[in-house]
Order: sequence, then structure tokens, then C-alpha cells
Amino acid sequence: MVEAFAVASGKGGTGKTTSTLALGMALAETHDVTVVDADTGMANLLFHTGLDEATTTLHDLLIADADADVSDAVYERFGMKVVPCGTSLAAFREADPERLRDVVATLAADTDVLLLDSPAALGSKSAVLPIALADRTVIVLQPTVPALSDGLKVQEYARSYGTSTAGTLFNRVRDDEAVDRVVDQAEEYFGGETLGVVPESEAARAARRAGEPLLAHAPDSPASQAFREAARRLEVREGESEAVAARFQSAVIPDEV
Amino acid sequence: MNIPRGELHRSRVVDDPGTTLSLALDRQLTGYAVFEPQDAVLLGEETRGVVTFEDGVPVLAYCTDTDSGGAEALADVAGPGPFRVELYELDASALEDAHASDDCRVSPGLPAERLSGDRALVTRTRDAAPEDRLGTDDGTAVEDFLADESQIEAIREQAREEARSRAEEWGLTDVLDD
Repeated sequence: MVEAFAVASGKGGTGKTTSTLALGMALAETHDVTVVDADTGMANLLFHTGLDEATTTLHDLLIADADADVSDAVYERFGMKVVPCGTSLAAFREADPERLRDVVATLAADTDVLLLDSPAALGSKSAVLPIALADRTVIVLQPTVPALSDGLKVQEYARSYGTSTAGTLFNRVRDDEAVDRVVDQAEEYFGGETLGVVPESEAARAARRAGEPLLAHAPDSPASQAFREAARRLEVREGESEAVAARFQSAVIPDEV
Repeated sequence: MNIPRGELHRSRVVDDPGTTLSLALDRQLTGYAVFEPQDAVLLGEETRGVVTFEDGVPVLAYCTDTDSGGAEALADVAGPGPFRVELYELDASALEDAHASDDCRVSPGLPAERLSGDRALVTRTRDAAPEDRLGTDDGTAVEDFLADESQIEAIREQAREEARSRAEEWGLTDVLDD
């Protein structure tokens, strides 16, 4: 029973990692959740989860002669399984993005919900693999032209790989009045439903400084409540673990996607 | 679109149209650039995109083959390259009539955004554009953006094409949804 979601945005600064962990913690109340920092070039999930000193990370699993076991990079934190990624550029250069498929396949075999914190870019194979491999995407937007324009691009890239949109999440929203109209208009172009409109939050920045997910640091903040509501709207589909795992592995036949 | 022939400034083949847009911007060129995709098999031999400039900042975009203008024209011309590019200089008065019309008008950063994807160039172009050419990023600008269905479709179409050509480049065609 697993569904893999890529939490994606075309543009940096939308609060994607905060969103991934918030959805993860909220979903962990009812599901077994694994969160993976698939943003291997600009990893920051470790800073949001107090795992700065993690000895084994996703990078160690992606290098060619890896002797680390996948389970070595899995940390139980905040009711979820967390797979952080290291921040070393040298390790990033040595990492083979193709190996992400096998790592994800292994993790998929043993969880209900897999959340891939995906890179805010589309310019490389390692950036595109998470959205290519996931079942569905959650697209994190802001009500600005660049964020919406880049969000549309992410959606089209994902669809090219057969990955549909589970829903959109408007994050770091400042102006409540204008956003209603923007959300209505955006729904015409984005798949799924609008999962939530999350207000800009000082609590999110404080949580990051404290090395905790927002829902652990400030569970009653308006932003946390909006994320929990978004998680409720995100209907997790049941998949066959084996089928999902098989899809991630290298020997994928296009017809089965 | 009726634009008089200008003085040829440069003619060459480039992989990234951003090179030419950047040059026009740096030289604060008033005139126009003609982009001709070299992928004649896919696009037909007559496809030419014209982008006009005022002091280096794009004003209009037009595609000769499809007779489209604005964002749609940019989508028709956009592709993986290379492009044959000719850059012409003109007196501002020669462009006055064309620039007075709203047809084919593009926001200053749009050609860089669509043809090159170079975010730094988009920002640089917007920084150089006069105030009255910039929409503010408030609710209204976003609503205008979302109301322009042809522009949205142009973005999506370009992303689809880009996704496919890059999948081949990265050896990811096995996961493409056919």
C-alpha cells in the first residue's frame, strides 16, 4: 500500500520543504509516512528536522560503490521516517541520479505514503527524476506570475512522464482578498484540487531555525492548521507496493507506466 | 507587421537565443532580431520569429510562418535550437507605428523567459525596462496573466516539447508516458 507524491515547485522560495514536512506530519497521524529529500543538489530537509549531523544520508546511497544500506539513511523523526540528503557538493557530483530509482523502490516497499521533496528546477536529470517517478505531484505555488508560470511547467513535465497532479498548495500567501480570485482562475489550469491556501508565517522561519518541522514547532499556528486541512484533502490512493516498487526500478517498460 | 529593413548588426548561428537578447540589452539596441530555428524538418523552412527592441528591451514578438503574435509567436519559434539569428539596428522613429499598436506586444522579460529560460536574463531585462512597461506583481497582474489563455497554453506547449526533448537527452524515455 503505497502512493508516492513528488512535492514540487518550479521556483525556489515557495516553502516546498516546509510544505513537504507539514503534509508528512499531518498524514502520519493516519498513515505510515516516509519523507525523502530528493533535492540532492540543494538539500535542506536535514536542517528542518534536526538532522544536520546525520552520518548516513541519501548521498551515501547514490554513489556508485555505496556500501551503505538504505535503512542506514532512514531516521525516525516526528512520527515519520525521514531520509535526509547531505549538502556536500562533492558528494552531489559523485551521486548517480539513476540510483534514486532503486532507493525509492526499496523505501516504497515498506510505507503507505512516500513524499519526495523535489528540486525547484527542471534543468537536469536529477531534478526531473522525482517528478518522473512519482505517482502524483503536489505543486507548491505562490500567487505570483513567476511561481504560477513555473508551476505550470512542472505540471507539464510531470504529465509527460504520466505523473498527474494531486493538487496545488498556495503557500506563503500575504493578501487574502486577491488570492481567492487567483485560486479560482488557477484551478482552470492545474489538475487536482486546491489543497490549501497557507498564510505567510513567521512561525515557519522560527521552526526552520529550531530544526523542527512547522507542525512540531508551532502546531496551532494558522499555517499549521492550513497544512493539516490540506493533508485531509489529499486523498491517498492505495497501490500495490510491489507494483509501485517495480515501477521505480531501472528495468521499467514504458507501457507499464 | 510592417517593419522597415534595418542595418545589419550581426548574423550568426547560436544555440541559445538568450545570447542575442543579452547582446541587444547590453548595447541598448533599438531595432529587431530575426530568429530562424535550424530544425527545418520539424518546423518547416519558413519559420522566422521577429522580436523588436527599444533601448535593448523587447517590445513585440511576431512569427512569420504562423502569423501569430505575442506569447504565441514565441512558443511557435521556441525550440532546442540552434537558431540562425540576425540582429538589425533601426531608428526609433521607424518602429513608432508598430510599437504604438498593442498587437504582438510582449512583457519585457517574456522573450528571454520563453526562448532561453535564462532567469538572470529575465531579471536583467525587467530591471532595464521602463516603469510603464512593467506590470506590478499584485493581484491584478497575476489575474491578467491567468486570464490570458493563449499565453498559458503557449507556456504549457513549450514545457511539453522541452520535457520530451530533454527526456531523450537524459535517457529517460523509458519512463515517458506515450
